[in-house]
Amino acid sequence: MSPPAIVARGLEKRFGAAVALRPLDLEVAAGELVVVLGPNGAGKTTLLRMLAGLSRPSAGHLEVGADGSGGDRRARRRGVGLVAHASLLYPALTARENLVLAGRLFGVPDAEGRADALLAEAELEACASQRAGALSRGLAQRVAIARALVHDPPILLLDEPFSGLDPRAAEALEARLAGLHRAGRTIVASTHDLERAASLADRALLLVRGFAALLPREVARSRAALEERYRNGLASPPRLAVGVRP
Amino acid sequence: MWAVLWKDLLIEWRSRDRVLAMGVFALLVVVIFHFAAPAGPAAGGEATREHLPGLLWVAYVFAAILGLNRAFALELENEALSGLALAPGERGWIYLGKAAASLVLLVAVQALAALAFALAFDLDLVPVLLPFSGIALLGALGLASIGTLFSAVAVRTSYREVMLPLLLLPLLVPVLLGAVRATHGLLAEGTVPADALRLLAVTDAVFLIVSFLGFEYVLDE
Repeated sequence: MSPPAIVARGLEKRFGAAVALRPLDLEVAAGELVVVLGPNGAGKTTLLRMLAGLSRPSAGHLEVGADGSGGDRRARRRGVGLVAHASLLYPALTARENLVLAGRLFGVPDAEGRADALLAEAELEACASQRAGALSRGLAQRVAIARALVHDPPILLLDEPFSGLDPRAAEALEARLAGLHRAGRTIVASTHDLERAASLADRALLLVRGFAALLPREVARSRAALEERYRNGLASPPRLAVGVRP
Repeated sequence: MWAVLWKDLLIEWRSRDRVLAMGVFALLVVVIFHFAAPAGPAAGGEATREHLPGLLWVAYVFAAILGLNRAFALELENEALSGLALAPGERGWIYLGKAAASLVLLVAVQALAALAFALAFDLDLVPVLLPFSGIALLGALGLASIGTLFSAVAVRTSYREVMLPLLLLPLLVPVLLGAVRATHGLLAEGTVPADALRLLAVTDAVFLIVSFLGFEYVLDE
């Protein structure tokens, strides 16, 4: 049995006196797709940024990547790709230049070749020489995903990837994520979209005001069950965590 | 480092907003000094010439602060700074790339401002061009090294335009002391005082090492 891709024990984040994430235990198996659900301010972005190595936990233990990197944040950054809420793209650079830059930052040997391969894979050749600032939200999101995959990370983290997309672009993104999941990548994605969450998730992590509950597959795959747990969680966040932690 | 330097210079080449703002600002400062302290003998020109190195470095420092304020502003769009912070290597190399890009722009603006000073105050810089360029480069390195670090700190604060000069100016005292003394020695006596050069070189080295090591924490959230 392969070791888990993500292990968090008592993971907590505070900003001064404000608690962004209460102590959280979480284990994500390699190749699993976990959807993080919760209202605005629930702690979804905070959790993803800690997993990506952008933010230090205030307390607790975190291991990301089954490569023995342990708590080393530099090694963790090598093993994850992040699609943040913003695209992380430089508007003045073209789509291709943004990918080449990301490749060079990650030490990819042939950054130009890798950029071209990713543009072809995402069917973005036509906009390769367009500046990122001129791309539509849907196209920019596809380039952002290509950017996150530039160093071929085993773990992909996505922060509300469906927000701002029209239905067609959202559908295409859902298919892309399903494809990446089938290819064996571990994916953790936050979203407000319960329909897409139910269609994609192996499991769901429900976050409300820093309280967390990990929902099993049978709940995560049912939109109705997800909706019920979501509503109950919103009504009483502290009870969310009782008895349902992994 | 090279990737960040390439990116910053390419973006600057396409927009030219930083170098234009810095260049125009430096020229305006020269014009204001020219009218405020005319170089002619009838208007106390000798006293003005005594203070020319100081005036020149005041122009350099304010132009540098203007450019450094913009150095990390371009990283705020689309949260591009997070994209840099995600890079797995030592974050000090990102700092060096950003500092090198600021240094390139600053040196270009220094050359323009020095030419304007020479014309406005009837200075013949040609015989001392090489040592003068060396002093300017050492001073620019001091400005860019510590300025890049504090630009990264200030960019996440609410009053970043005000915050950067407040944080930076007190720390630039040793750079200014060394640079003004070295420039004065060169222009007045034709020799560069060794202690002034040492002060500049040591300050630059300390700023570079501290900033390289500290940048890991500056990029943290």
